[in-house]
Amino acid sequence: MLFNSTEFLFAFLPIVLATFYLLGGVSRVAAIRWLILASLLFYAWWRPVNVLIIVPSMAINFAFARTLLQLDLLNASRILSKVVLMLGILFNVMFLGVFKYLDFLFSSINDAFGANLPLQHIILPLGISFITFQKIAFLVDVQAGRIKSFTLQDYCTFVLFFPQLVAGPIVHYREMMPQFHAIDCRFDKTNVSVGITLLLFGLFKKVVLADKLAPLVTPIYDHAAAGGRISFLMAWMAAVGFTLQVYFDFSGYTDMALGLARLFGIRLPPNFDSPLRASSIIDFWLRWHMTLTRFLTAYIYNPMVLSLTRRRLATGKHGFSARNPAFGAFVSLLMTPTIITMFISGLWHGAGYGFVVWGVLHGLYITINHGWRIAAMRWWPNRQSYERIMKPAGLALTFISVAATMVFFRAPTITSALDLVKGLIGLNGITLPEAAFQHLGSLAGTLHELGVVAELWSIHDFIKTLMWILFLMIIALACPNTLEILCPYEPALGVRPKLGKPVISRMSFAEWSPSFGWAIAVSAIAATAILSIGGPSEFLYWNF
Amino acid sequence: MTQQEILGEFSRVLRDLLLNDSIALTMGTRREGIPGWDSFNYINFIVAVETEFGVKFKIADVESFANVGEIVIKLEDMLTGNTRSSLNSPRSVRIYRDKD
Repeated sequence: MLFNSTEFLFAFLPIVLATFYLLGGVSRVAAIRWLILASLLFYAWWRPVNVLIIVPSMAINFAFARTLLQLDLLNASRILSKVVLMLGILFNVMFLGVFKYLDFLFSSINDAFGANLPLQHIILPLGISFITFQKIAFLVDVQAGRIKSFTLQDYCTFVLFFPQLVAGPIVHYREMMPQFHAIDCRFDKTNVSVGITLLLFGLFKKVVLADKLAPLVTPIYDHAAAGGRISFLMAWMAAVGFTLQVYFDFSGYTDMALGLARLFGIRLPPNFDSPLRASSIIDFWLRWHMTLTRFLTAYIYNPMVLSLTRRRLATGKHGFSARNPAFGAFVSLLMTPTIITMFISGLWHGAGYGFVVWGVLHGLYITINHGWRIAAMRWWPNRQSYERIMKPAGLALTFISVAATMVFFRAPTITSALDLVKGLIGLNGITLPEAAFQHLGSLAGTLHELGVVAELWSIHDFIKTLMWILFLMIIALACPNTLEILCPYEPALGVRPKLGKPVISRMSFAEWSPSFGWAIAVSAIAATAILSIGGPSEFLYWNF
Repeated sequence: MTQQEILGEFSRVLRDLLLNDSIALTMGTRREGIPGWDSFNYINFIVAVETEFGVKFKIADVESFANVGEIVIKLEDMLTGNTRSSLNSPRSVRIYRDKD
């Protein structure tokens, strides 16, 4: 059941919500249990057999977590609880591995050694990557003593809460459970109006913005996959187009998730903060899929850097500092953990070479960004002139770099991705639609001399794609985002106006309030979105 | 050691890490308030503090510090032995100091 399907929006959600409020008037426990049951139903809708996969895995995780809690209460040795934690993590990684990576592993072995291992063609249970990460985080938090008590009901609510079950945001137990314990499970007009507004903004971003661009971008990737040469402009349209598509798709999904949770009185953490406005790649990752970055940083990157740095210092070598930057320390303490973390991030997104290349490229980008920062601090000490030049230059460079990697994220095969990259750097020449030359008059001759070639390419599609890209760029770069618009109502956990600072400077009319004007605006958005619902249109991140 | 002295040491360590001599940490300073104090430099800072004071933080603590003050208080606890954490004898090795 997709968030953008009519059965979800007009049957499942109203029934679940109304029952939740009604039960909430009688008993909080009943309302929460209803929410758990509804979440299971939501999960089962897709393939009922999925429930037989997720429930046992939850039971095993629950047992691990309980054991860890007992060990903590008994003041058992840290080593023993670490062993239990390791077993728990191993179980989750293996679980994900069998469903997601077994075939990838087999086909890689087959490719590399000419072996003939039979592929299993296992259907990926919905949202398994998200659910697994969240379960691992839970076990780590219990072992670290950050979670002191929990019941089976708490655990089920935490894992199954349907607004964020399939594709995040990836939440922490400690930020969710106090909220579940505090909500009164009844109708609240602020929660409902903010929730519905978020839901509709998200729906609009998904079904109107992302889904209208998708059919213009997909044919270019199909063309590349079929072995067609992708010229310079076409390749950039594919790269930038898909970057915008995935942004509006996934941030639209996230807004819907935030809105759905809010209808139940729950705030989820923010996941997007206008990432395409980032002025560096490090900044980009602090604004794009923020809860994934938070997970990777806390559970993979930081422990790895901590252990590597401690080990290095124990051997008497220098650590890394900007005052005394040593190349060896840079490679071993910064580059290595960064690339490993982003490699894992790539692999987490999907079992394919394209995702791995995408992840490693981002790892390299981040490393270069760190190196540049240190170099700039030494050789460009004037912060003001640095900011003045590097803010816009960094924004453009970050956008171009991110868009270029998206080719690996989207292209169905590594061969077609590489052909697209050749196109991006101009190796496949520059072409324009044949009809464009007829309209250009004398300019056509000049373009021909410059090596621009006519191609069998619909001028209509060309212009439409260009206009959509331009339109979505303006929205992504210049318009306030959903969280900014709703900021006074804390639309996401911790997203509040800063003291004494306007949220949206120069555009205060864009700040949402429960007013007549906004009611009309949101209704218009809702009508456009609802009329655009239809056809198969999965969220890109539901496959992960 | 007083909190002010610890803050002074912390500031010195961070100035070297970030090459920024204008840094002056207070109990309320948060990472977002210091340009360039990202996760990498945060971990670097933690290890530098560990080396400086001869202590070892738990990874769970490292992840839970919300501001500089919390690190200072945890460190005070560790130095006075108010915790289960292992406590090595303090070494005065200045790993992050200039060679000169």
